[in-house]
Amino acid sequence: MSSVWEGRARGARPPGILGPSFTAGLALRIAVLSLILVFFQEGVVSEVPLFGVSVDLTPLLVAFVGLICGSTLGAVTGFAVGLLVDLALVQTLGITSLTFTLIGYWAGRLRELRDPQGALVPLVVGALASAAAMIGYSLVEFLLGVDAPVSLDLLRQIVLGVVVNTVVALPVWALVRRSLEGGLPDDPRRRRRRAYTTGGLSPLSRA
Amino acid sequence: MYDKTVRRRRALLALLVVLSLILLTAYFGEAAGGGLHSVQRGFLTVLSPIQDGANKALKPVRDAFSWISDTVHAKSEHKQLVGQVDKLRRELIADQTERAAYHELLALYHLDHQLSINDYHPVTATVVAKSPNIWYSTVTIDKGEAAGVRINDPVVNDEGLVGKVTQIASDGAQVSLITDSTVGVSARLGATAATGILQPKVGEPNDLLLQYLPASAQANKGDYVVTSGTVSSGDDSLYPPGIPIGQVTSVNEESAYRSVNVHPLADLHNLDVVQVLTAAQNSAPARVANVTANLPPGQLATQGTAGSGTLAFAGPGK
Repeated sequence: MSSVWEGRARGARPPGILGPSFTAGLALRIAVLSLILVFFQEGVVSEVPLFGVSVDLTPLLVAFVGLICGSTLGAVTGFAVGLLVDLALVQTLGITSLTFTLIGYWAGRLRELRDPQGALVPLVVGALASAAAMIGYSLVEFLLGVDAPVSLDLLRQIVLGVVVNTVVALPVWALVRRSLEGGLPDDPRRRRRRAYTTGGLSPLSRA
Repeated sequence: MYDKTVRRRRALLALLVVLSLILLTAYFGEAAGGGLHSVQRGFLTVLSPIQDGANKALKPVRDAFSWISDTVHAKSEHKQLVGQVDKLRRELIADQTERAAYHELLALYHLDHQLSINDYHPVTATVVAKSPNIWYSTVTIDKGEAAGVRINDPVVNDEGLVGKVTQIASDGAQVSLITDSTVGVSARLGATAATGILQPKVGEPNDLLLQYLPASAQANKGDYVVTSGTVSSGDDSLYPPGIPIGQVTSVNEESAYRSVNVHPLADLHNLDVVQVLTAAQNSAPARVANVTANLPPGQLATQGTAGSGTLAFAGPGK
């Protein structure tokens, strides 16, 4: 099993509880991005139905933060975004936090264990995160005793929700990656990949 | 070093999960006036102006999306509406005659002071947030206690009944839509006197089911369903009678009672501006609401009793 900080240079500062990726700048970027996306979700996106369902950007945001920043930051972001959603929408506190914490952690572990690089990875992660959010949410609601048995229509809503979320996964991925890129410390594995693809030289020195 | 990091990571995950579960349990177990609910209301109070500002700033974006969607559906909708206008014109002519006769009869029997929508003080509010998931059919509006909005106040828009106020803050309120599983409306089939309880269709959050209609009630596809002006429980909202709710899409044959599937008239996915029907202190609706809240359960309008138990306000001094 490899971890993000295995390749850190000798003498580098040991990672804190939030992992090696964590910096104050990154935390600020995640907080601002989360606030903007949650407001945008509530104010605009949720009022524009596609095939009878609305796109939900929040599980995508949490999964992509996990995929970029690792499991601990993913889990913390999931908890915070979930709490914000529950507070803003006057829902039962804790449901969204619980599901989003697990989604952020899972996406972060995926990155730490497998480090998938394919172009379609955000699409698959977005679809799985959306499905997990909806199914997890439904499970908790069932446990809390909401009167709504499993029906074909409910299943259809979940499937359509996953499909429309998958459609917007790539642009959301691009937005999240672009927003967080500047706040990330130089990842040793990124450095190794760059060295491999450029023959050990930086693109500038090859010119 | 690695073990320590793994332990820390797992401990953090466990902490967040436990924290979520504590929140969930505490929130679910406490009363509406409890600490967490108060925090949520406080958050709503702080958030409402921000949401209102964001909503206004982002309105052009939303309008652009709606414009695209509307354009796609415009042609088929136009054809459908032309047919509907012809049908409605014929119905209007017939209704005008009947209406005149109806008003004559009301005056004759001194029933012309029933509670109507004009007795309420409508407060116009903008929808500033909407729940995106399929479990909660709620919206947040930018008017609250400060504007006279109270819990259980009916909420309407130009198309028909939208829902009722279920949470309140000073400058914002949460409205549970008629498709929310917690909302039930006493409703009447427009063409008949048959009343029943209208609730969301279980498992199909965008459709409604009008239940407990008498087996003899005549219902046809396309019939309108309106509020009956009765309540089925003391803590229910007293919707003024005659507010359009939806149209019958199909009729279910059952043994003791009849039920019909209803599609809401209000486009609950595209709510922008709504009106909260507030009852000012000592106004007619407030007095009637007090009466219904204080009546013992047996004296409230009960499910399935068509036409009986209707609480019609007779007006002061009558």
